[in-house]
Amino acid sequence: MKRMSLLALAAAFAAAAAAAQEPIAIGISIAQSPPGSVVQGVQVKDGVEIVKDMINAKGGVLGRPIKLIYEDNQGVPEKGRAATEKLITRDKVVAVTGGHQSSVCLAEIEVAHRYEVPYVNTNCWSDDVRKKGYAEVFNPGNYNTRVSMAMAETIGAMKVKRVIAFAENTDYGIGQAKLLAEFVKTKAPGTDFKYETLDRAGKDFTPAVLALRANPPDMVVTMMLPPAAYIFMNQLYEQGVAPSAKTWFYDGAGIADYPDFWQNVKDAGKYMISFGLYHPQMPQPALGKEVAAEYTKRTKNEPNRLIFQAADSLLLIVEAIRQAKSTDPKAITKQLASMKFEGVRGAFQFSSAREPAYAYQQWVDIPYVNFQLTDVNQPVSKANLIQGPGQPLAVDKLQKPK
Amino acid sequence: MLALDLLVNGLVFGLFYALMAVGLAMIFGVLKVVNFAHGEFYMVGAYTYVLVATRLGVPPWLALPMAAVAGAALGALVERLLMRPLYAGYGSWSIMKDEYAVVVTFGLSLLLINVVDKVVGPYPFRGPPLIETSRFALGPVMMNGQKLIAAGISIALLTGLALFIKRSLWGRQIQAVAQNRLGASLAGIDATRTTALIFAISGLLAALAGALLAPLINPSPDVGAFPAIKSYVIVVLGGMGSIWGAMVAALLLGVLESFFAVYVSYDYRDAFGLLILILVLIFRPQGLAGEKGREV
Repeated sequence: MKRMSLLALAAAFAAAAAAAQEPIAIGISIAQSPPGSVVQGVQVKDGVEIVKDMINAKGGVLGRPIKLIYEDNQGVPEKGRAATEKLITRDKVVAVTGGHQSSVCLAEIEVAHRYEVPYVNTNCWSDDVRKKGYAEVFNPGNYNTRVSMAMAETIGAMKVKRVIAFAENTDYGIGQAKLLAEFVKTKAPGTDFKYETLDRAGKDFTPAVLALRANPPDMVVTMMLPPAAYIFMNQLYEQGVAPSAKTWFYDGAGIADYPDFWQNVKDAGKYMISFGLYHPQMPQPALGKEVAAEYTKRTKNEPNRLIFQAADSLLLIVEAIRQAKSTDPKAITKQLASMKFEGVRGAFQFSSAREPAYAYQQWVDIPYVNFQLTDVNQPVSKANLIQGPGQPLAVDKLQKPK
Repeated sequence: MLALDLLVNGLVFGLFYALMAVGLAMIFGVLKVVNFAHGEFYMVGAYTYVLVATRLGVPPWLALPMAAVAGAALGALVERLLMRPLYAGYGSWSIMKDEYAVVVTFGLSLLLINVVDKVVGPYPFRGPPLIETSRFALGPVMMNGQKLIAAGISIALLTGLALFIKRSLWGRQIQAVAQNRLGASLAGIDATRTTALIFAISGLLAALAGALLAPLINPSPDVGAFPAIKSYVIVVLGGMGSIWGAMVAALLLGVLESFFAVYVSYDYRDAFGLLILILVLIFRPQGLAGEKGREV
């Protein structure tokens, strides 16, 4: 009897030890094939892989390594929903992150909410993701109100009279365009602003551009992602509309730091003004510099904001596990909601305010910059920084083609 | 001035559409099935051009014919391996022919997209232009050098194709097989070889369209969806199986889309083509130049 008890005890210890070594599974739902934005998906993956390796090299968290389980949502909401369902129910992940396309995020958070599993929104800008008010959803990335307000202030500071914006026909694009229109009324009251939506799967935008040629505006703004964004820029340039001596070109989607940007736009990118969430001249913690160096070492490219956003998304989950001393999804959620966090982009705490609705569990004061590309193939590090974080726009630094 | 710009742009894109759609029309004319992988012939041409020019350093003017050869080879291979069962001695296929063609070409389309995505990568990949002049004025119209050259090559190819079909021995054989496969075989025409030729030409034209547009629309693995949908509309609008009909329909669609986008709504520009498709199917199902079915 005594021998049986000892054997049972030994078996129990062995099982506990095995469980303790079992990796902690974290779900990553990204676009890895068309029609999703695979460019973004690859960058998110690069970012989380670097952080995973760094954490596991230091022994993991709670003595256990972390394991990333990827699902390809193809940038399609239904597939995102299925991917999140599978990650939670079959793969038993403790949290889900990686979301980078707003329409997909909006579908995925419904699943996360239903199962009460934390969802860290890496790069879905639509305010609607926040406005749902789900306790499981955390937003360390940018949001449309932030960028729209910033862009409206830029438009006001530049004193342009007539602005035409082009937005992709998605939750992100239309959401940002509507907000920008609202903010321009208050931040740039003397500016005539209108926007049009373009099909993100379109290949020829020349008719829309031709209509501008007869009466060029003072500024063209785009809120579009590649590849449509690149095609539109090339066609704008080809028709001599923007960037030009008469018309500024301002990108609100932050595509200037994409690895394939210059390869696809060449001359059309010169003189582009860009809203940005990362510039090497921004203050950055040591951990951020470490991730940047590792990314450059692995890919031979300069890092961009998606790398850092992805890194922070995973670091948040890991830190919440560490502080909660638990892998229970509810415990992680509770910890995320209250903890102070220092990641690769700086220190912050999620807002608990429910008004305005976009502020709920959002890093509200996420820093941003504005910069201008002044030469073809120019890396962001060499771009002309015309507005640093928290600084006014240096209008006198702006350049226009002759 | 805007109207002239739109007309020129519409005609130019109409020429590209024609280059894409004519091959699809030829395949339907002969086999009476739709090749759902036609957009991927275009994509393979675009990628061949871009990769050969950028990774191997081949001059763009040489990369162009290489893309054409790749398209022709792919077309011939598809015919030999996937489509030949439709007519080469499989009696029961006549019942399942349409279903077989849909499934196998759709599957091929998905396979090619994902292979390119994994092997080459997901990033859009702009091809080098044939001419470095990115913009110049052609009278009152601002033109892109690549577009102008691509339009010129398209006109030459379509004219050449029309003459080939009408005047050459091979062309007459194609017409014969399209009219009546059995009858053509009885007259001594090798219908299988003729069909292989049609697929090769279809692949060549689509691949060339992809290569010519690669510097303009930044190919990505799913770039074939755009020409495929346009081609289906054009083939129906022009009359299933009619090459001339497809050419005219392509130009018409290009111009109408161009004007519709500006004067009605840019949002629904691509949906406009599908609306035309529905209207044609309702009111003139044989298309502009097609015939209603005849049986003897």
